[in-house]
Amino acid sequence: MDNKRNNESRERIFNAIKAAAPTVSMDLDIIQKEAQDILAESEFARPKLLAEDAPEALVNRINAGLVIGTSCEIVASLEDLPHSVNQFLNKYSLPPELKVQNVPKLQSLNWESLSIDVDLQKDNTVGMCWAEYGVAETGSFVVHSSPEMPILLNFLPLYLIAVIPKSKILHYMDDYALIASEIANRGETPRNMCLISGVSGTTDIEGVLVQGAHGPEISHIIIVEDQ
Amino acid sequence: MSEKNSNADTESVQSNTIECLNISEKRVGFFVTCLVNTMRPSVGFASITLLEQAGCNVEVPELQSCCGQPAFNSGDDEGTRQVAYQTIEQFENFDYVVLPSGSCAGMIKKNFVEVFKDDSEWLQRAQNLADKTYELLSFLVDVCNFEPENVEFEGSYTYHDSCSGYRSLGVYEQPRKMLSKVKGLDHKPLNGHSECCGFGGTFCVKYSDISNEIVAEKTENVLATEADYLLGGDMGCLMNIAGKLNREGHTEIEALHTAEVLAGLATEIVGAKNARK
Amino acid sequence: MHANKPENFYQNVTEALAQPDLKMIIRRTTDKAETKRAEAIANFPEFEKARQQGQKVKDHTIKYMDHYLAEFEKNAAAQGTIVHWASTGEEASKIVLDICRQHEAKKVTRSKSMLGEEIGLSHALDNSGIERVETDLAEHIIQLAGDPPSHIVWPAMHRSREDVIKLFREFHKDPTYSEEITDLVRSARRDLRTKFLTSDIGISGSNFLLADSGSSCTVTNEGNAELTITPPKVHIVTAGIEKLVPSMAHAVPLLRLLTRSATGGEITQYITFHNGPKRPNDADGPEECHIVLVDNGRTKMLADGMEEMLRCIRCGACMNHCVVYKHIGGHAYGSVYPGPMGSVLTPHLDSLKVANKQTHACTLNGRCEEVCPVNIPLPKLLRALRAESWQKKYEPLTNRYVVKAYAQLAKRPRMFQFVSSCGVVFMKLFSRQGWIKSMPFTGGWTRNRDLIEPESKTFMQQYKASKKAKSSGGR
Repeated sequence: MDNKRNNESRERIFNAIKAAAPTVSMDLDIIQKEAQDILAESEFARPKLLAEDAPEALVNRINAGLVIGTSCEIVASLEDLPHSVNQFLNKYSLPPELKVQNVPKLQSLNWESLSIDVDLQKDNTVGMCWAEYGVAETGSFVVHSSPEMPILLNFLPLYLIAVIPKSKILHYMDDYALIASEIANRGETPRNMCLISGVSGTTDIEGVLVQGAHGPEISHIIIVEDQ
Repeated sequence: MSEKNSNADTESVQSNTIECLNISEKRVGFFVTCLVNTMRPSVGFASITLLEQAGCNVEVPELQSCCGQPAFNSGDDEGTRQVAYQTIEQFENFDYVVLPSGSCAGMIKKNFVEVFKDDSEWLQRAQNLADKTYELLSFLVDVCNFEPENVEFEGSYTYHDSCSGYRSLGVYEQPRKMLSKVKGLDHKPLNGHSECCGFGGTFCVKYSDISNEIVAEKTENVLATEADYLLGGDMGCLMNIAGKLNREGHTEIEALHTAEVLAGLATEIVGAKNARK
Repeated sequence: MHANKPENFYQNVTEALAQPDLKMIIRRTTDKAETKRAEAIANFPEFEKARQQGQKVKDHTIKYMDHYLAEFEKNAAAQGTIVHWASTGEEASKIVLDICRQHEAKKVTRSKSMLGEEIGLSHALDNSGIERVETDLAEHIIQLAGDPPSHIVWPAMHRSREDVIKLFREFHKDPTYSEEITDLVRSARRDLRTKFLTSDIGISGSNFLLADSGSSCTVTNEGNAELTITPPKVHIVTAGIEKLVPSMAHAVPLLRLLTRSATGGEITQYITFHNGPKRPNDADGPEECHIVLVDNGRTKMLADGMEEMLRCIRCGACMNHCVVYKHIGGHAYGSVYPGPMGSVLTPHLDSLKVANKQTHACTLNGRCEEVCPVNIPLPKLLRALRAESWQKKYEPLTNRYVVKAYAQLAKRPRMFQFVSSCGVVFMKLFSRQGWIKSMPFTGGWTRNRDLIEPESKTFMQQYKASKKAKSSGGR
């Protein structure tokens, strides 16, 4: 990096801002108070959910067809996952193989004849990921990058199954932001935090919606109750 | 109703209805506007008739000219001030100032203060004038609580909401409410009723060809209503749409200012027009 | 397609209006966006409150811009991101190129960024011999076609399916021979997939920069940002300094506004916060992360009293609802940002001297302000730019003389009334059967429409006469 140039530009930008607003207070408390006050307005400035209970609201949202290319189901426990996956594969006439995220919770399940390790670089694959959170407002699941979570797992497959623990379904995006700031306070912010609300879509050719632009065409959310 | 002004407008409506009790004691200064003065004087007389029917004490200051929009919209702030000085002087002592145009009323109500930012005395006077300036149709309803009585006009109409009236002043319900009292008149809703007609003051001559494309779309929508009359509250828009309709050869639909209909002048105007065809 | 220049606006407009299909092409996108937005707002009764909150978030950040920039710089560095500062677009492009060269990059993938276009990064990369792969489908199409973008949300809206069929058959390795749009999208999917995975550097823009964490946030429907950023070793973000918000919680209200205003959807499918390079042992992700913070006219907007424009979140609603944009399209504006927001931005990014005509190509009807998710008073700003260009004498002389003559007249009511009455007499000379088809000095009007015939006397003449008659009758 050209440090001299960089510092000069930095200086120029800050000086220009100060020159444009010379009387602005730099009292941190005032700034933080103002910033907090604005957030307090969210309560009155966000959409109504489709149910009071967050998991129910999320399910209603998906079932109402408001989350592009996404379906969902609720299962009692993790042990039910292989069965649900089989049903999903059958529904779309897919071969008995999928890439299951490399987390013990999922890997240790009894997958029977299913092959759970496929090369994601190929197209037409099925992926299965463990979501950290769900968000009812937007019908989203949230993934965090980690040694066990390759971000590409959520983007390369044509079909994606996301598993969300029921207890981790939040009402609003604001609730997730709060959690993100707690994670940050612990110094544990992951490289990527992805809120995924539907599938990879485009309307770039004559305004027609096509799913599966680069990533998933179909997505299925499985909510696990006992987690 | 425009999305963002709705709250503010209901408030101002409420505060104004209290004043309407003693409207007859109020002096109303009538600002004719250039287009009514030169192109359509009947709108001016219709306006005075309506204001008097509503119980107002109407005066027309003879030393009036233009609201200043051509200068303001061209970016000539000094020119705007020059024009605004005399308007403020002529009209600031009335209780109300009323104009038969949303765009000219909006100019005095919203824009005069923009050009007097650095002049506290005139800023105050401009604000004072702005506070008592009204577009005719909203004034009649919101301030005077006026309802036309025994007006008849046979036919169907569609309504074009002028952008400045609709968006900047929140004029929407008022003309429709009054027109619903006119016997024999049916409303045919206009698709894109609040979409700009492409007039835009100097815009329509500066960018005549863009304006032409915009107004052609408007005339298409107007014709699709199959209404007999196109009504509106701004002569600029009406002249633009009517002028385009005529150029396209559509003489079956007549454009009228809402005031002309409400004041019972429409039959006569249409008759005179037909006689000249 | 050649790139239009902003200074040739009149000519650009004439060319645009002469294109027979242009209106249909624009409408098939903007009409849908307009309808869907209206539905989304109708389903969100709290929209007005959200809009006020969104405006406050932006205004607050703009007010304390230097504080938040310093915060962002500190926190981004703490995440391991290398922060660069660029005063101009040229400088920003050079910073990106230097990083590419330093890593001996042969291929870079880019996810759509209007700022990238603004700073001329596409050209800079092309000129440097580095293979540039646009990964947003629309950007991919216009890259193959060699077009500039025509809209900030749908940059390829001017290209028809037939155009795309031709382009993909010519350029894709394994093209589809189907004409179905789904198959065309699949063809691009196949073509871009290998490029995502073999890219040396991924370049993205940012929808929001979070000051309290140093994160950048990307928002896409296609998921191409994550695919652009994750596989390569290096990630470069280029972002305007106005993208700052205090925290993720402050980005939330803006996210609610952004999608609804842009496409009429409720939320964009992929919202990702990027926090520096990969952590040790992370399964994937870039090893090095750079952010280039770009001024390029933004502090000038602050200084010029145009700070309201810095609220803009680039949703494109103003152009979708603009009667002028809908007839002339994005290319006519001759700049990266078209429509109302572009007409305010371009004079600051380029210069008012070259882009002042666009500020007049507006009827000041207020629709753009009405639909703006952060309440930017676009007509007021456009008018202010007209005032500046009036002061700097950029207007054509004839316009100036006409307006000046008008003002001189209008400030003298007696003279004004007299000239008005003469005007009526003059106009009557040219009218036939109630209409004027053409007459001197009204060419702009009668070129496309007729002028109604005035009455014989002005209102004021008639009014004075009737008053006189009344008072003499009363005597």
